[in-house]
Amino acid sequence: MTYVGASIPGRNNRRSAAGAATYVDDIRPDGCLVMAVVRSPHAHARIRSVDTSAGHDLDGVALVLTGEELRDAGIAIHPSGTNVNFTPRTAVRHVLAVDKVRYVGEPVAAVVARDYVTARAAAQAVLVAYETLPALGDARAALKPGAVLVEESWPDNVMVDYPIARGDADAVLAATPPSGRTSGTLVCNRVAATPLEGRGIIADYNPYDETMTCWASTQAPHVLRALLSAALSFPEGNLRVIQPQVGGAFGGKIPMFPEDVITAYASRRLGRPVKWIEQRDEYLSAGGHSRDMRCDYEVAFEPDGRITALKAGLLADVGAQSTFLGWLMAIVSAACMPGSYVVDHVSIRLRAVVSNRGPWQAYRGYGKEVAAFFMERILDDVARAAGLGRDAVRTRNFISPSHFPFVQPSGWVTDSGDYQGTLEAVQELIGWDDFPARQAAARADGRYLGIGIGHELTPEGSSRPDALLNGTDSATVKMTPRGDVTVLTGVTSPGSGNETGIAQIVAECLGADLDRVRVLQGDTQSAPHGNGNYSSRSLTFGGSSARLAALVIREKLEIVAGRMLNADRADLEVTGHRIRSRASGQSVTFDEVAAEIYRKPHGRHMAGIDPALEATRAFKIDNVYHRKDEDGRYNQYPTWSFSTGACIVEVTPETGDVRIEKFALVHDCGVVVNPLLAEAQLHGAIMQGIGASLYEEIVYDDDAIPQTPTLREYTLPGIRESVDIVLGHRSTPSPFTFMGMKGVGESGISAPGPAIASAIDDALADFGVRMTTMPFTPARVWAAIQTARSAGRGE
Amino acid sequence: MLISVEVNGEVVTWDVDPRETLIDAIRERARLTGAHVGCRSASCGACTLSLDGLTVKSCCLLAAEADGRTIRTVEDGRTPPEVDDIQEAFIAAQGMQCGYCTPGMVMSVRHLLAQNPDPSDDEIRRGLAGNLCRCTGYVNILKAVRAVRDARLGR
Repeated sequence: MTYVGASIPGRNNRRSAAGAATYVDDIRPDGCLVMAVVRSPHAHARIRSVDTSAGHDLDGVALVLTGEELRDAGIAIHPSGTNVNFTPRTAVRHVLAVDKVRYVGEPVAAVVARDYVTARAAAQAVLVAYETLPALGDARAALKPGAVLVEESWPDNVMVDYPIARGDADAVLAATPPSGRTSGTLVCNRVAATPLEGRGIIADYNPYDETMTCWASTQAPHVLRALLSAALSFPEGNLRVIQPQVGGAFGGKIPMFPEDVITAYASRRLGRPVKWIEQRDEYLSAGGHSRDMRCDYEVAFEPDGRITALKAGLLADVGAQSTFLGWLMAIVSAACMPGSYVVDHVSIRLRAVVSNRGPWQAYRGYGKEVAAFFMERILDDVARAAGLGRDAVRTRNFISPSHFPFVQPSGWVTDSGDYQGTLEAVQELIGWDDFPARQAAARADGRYLGIGIGHELTPEGSSRPDALLNGTDSATVKMTPRGDVTVLTGVTSPGSGNETGIAQIVAECLGADLDRVRVLQGDTQSAPHGNGNYSSRSLTFGGSSARLAALVIREKLEIVAGRMLNADRADLEVTGHRIRSRASGQSVTFDEVAAEIYRKPHGRHMAGIDPALEATRAFKIDNVYHRKDEDGRYNQYPTWSFSTGACIVEVTPETGDVRIEKFALVHDCGVVVNPLLAEAQLHGAIMQGIGASLYEEIVYDDDAIPQTPTLREYTLPGIRESVDIVLGHRSTPSPFTFMGMKGVGESGISAPGPAIASAIDDALADFGVRMTTMPFTPARVWAAIQTARSAGRGE
Repeated sequence: MLISVEVNGEVVTWDVDPRETLIDAIRERARLTGAHVGCRSASCGACTLSLDGLTVKSCCLLAAEADGRTIRTVEDGRTPPEVDDIQEAFIAAQGMQCGYCTPGMVMSVRHLLAQNPDPSDDEIRRGLAGNLCRCTGYVNILKAVRAVRDARLGR
């Protein structure tokens, strides 16, 4: 039976469809109290006093916590971990603000009460006196000389200054005539992952045996356990973290959040379970954002389109910092340029700047989507300036398949790829060659159609040094006395279906019946240590670990079965939960072999064999380099998936409205374990990419006050905005993983931005419009058209 | 305040807080947790219920407003692990990932197909316009609804 490669629906679908899945807010330990958080209404202010008395006095209120109490209890988050190639400025983080607040939504106090309405009422009764400070509305304001300091112990607001260089870009630019140069500014909007289920945690401290059980909507129970243990000085072994079903994450639930610490602290103080469930307005201000970068670039190119030099200044507004580490996405953006393209002379300087916007939190794409937007727009600009086709310029500059592994200017090592392959395949899917005739006919009818392409590089399996998200994972495979298989994995599923994929891999490698393989995950008490779900690594790491463990079990089954059948191991055939001797035709079932091992450990087939039918293995992936001081190499991404997207849009010049008629994506993630689930991931990623391109933007005013506090303002695409998505697959297997799997999950989120921009430019070629700022809202497109008209361009 | 509601065929009396929303009453008092809270601004539709035969976003109704009325939730009329043909279609088409929006989607599809047994793609889009999904890009949701429509019509 071949399970790998089979399209099998997700194993959790039935309970989800029935409404029977258990999410964190569905769990109610006896006596559970509810916590609400008092948040800063100011972007930047000193806290003069916190008066909790009115909150305390309300009926049903159990506890009011302030920053002072937590600080005095010794609770503060200290920066840790090692960074290679750059040194960030850091500061101690308080989970409830002490002395001052630095962004709207920052937790200031917390109220624990008998139910949700009481907790919210008590939170409103807590009186905080603020003295407002000048606020930094964005990174450019934060960089101005004399700007107020967000972190008062720093000399300025720059958190990271990270230069990347190869060759001499300045010299090449200076030596290139103006006809061979172009430059511009690109802006990537601030967005939020926005899983439909918000964040949430229940902490249940048991004062008798000094243990704590937490149920959290998290992506990484083991990591959360370690971080919570450190934050609370609570023994890690006494802490259990359980991940119930998670209602989407997309990076947004990688631990640890201030509210996790506050909730656990409150439970320990009260000796009762305490629940905190995030509300949407809290999420949109304080749950963490991403992107929010600009790029000032200059490139030099040859008449044939070959890019000879790239100089880029990247400015990331990473907002005020919290306990989570989203700011690292800015590093990934910089290190993934030029990405898919060979440029001999590169000079990139990233400045990640703190401001009074909210902090960043991981989101699908993790900075790669920003790099893709910048690079693809630059490639389009070169095509325009050189008078060449957009496809031709990409073909001219792609890293060729024979040049892998390819070392990026950042030092990161791209493993494999065939970028021209996905480009040509997507051109075929979208109907690239036939489009100009269609476009001309539509134009004659007064309609503005355009076609665009965008290539994306999606390095996966992030493996950072000196961190718990670090390039390995583990799995246990065990067989019961009656022959059933249990897989315990350190990776978790926020809805992506990896439990199904891992079951397929184990059934395949073990020769088991898929229906008898059960996958358990998300509980630190049962699963072996693992890093959870991030960076599309659940199959490459979790699946590979499970495979290694399954092979241990298989070996033992084969040895014992061989003795039972009086056959050599080489003669055995293992499939469908049965081991058969090819020579004799006789066979035994896994059930019979398991019974032999468990029931007759001293029997004649078990001489010299350890009777454990349980194995734990940790797959440690290759192509990760962490010892730069020893071997000069640093690489945190072992496998690099890629895709090319293409789309056809229609623009209505009178309104600036953009409608996507068709979106095609050809994807290469090596060998696909479950095409149905892989494609489902791509559908979702593409739609999120489209959302960020056309509809979604976290907006702040000049005083850093959020203008998008609810889903009425932060507009997620609905089904009316859904588009016809056509997918194509190619496979360039990774040399570093089992069967050549690469990651799928993030892929598809990056290509829509540049592809849609490219298509809008094409539709509005008469106007000479160039979309440089995401999202391409009707207001922005319309304004670009008006600017062109006043300059005398267009009809 | 005391209210009386019929939930999935059973009449119950609740002493609700005047500030309590219908979704909170359904989840906390009836312990029916298929409907979820996603936004509390009637934007996402994760809390979709049927109230006197109309789909409503129960996060923006007060429990008190349901007094004397009839509520149907996704759990209505089925003994676990039974599901209806709409849910089966969502399961087979992978019309979900995290599952958080799914019960609300199912409620809207039940209503849509009851009103219009043969909806076009545009009509399906209109019928589900109030239900957000962040995972699927809606591709497999559309497939699921088309599949159940066609199966019911014998196509």
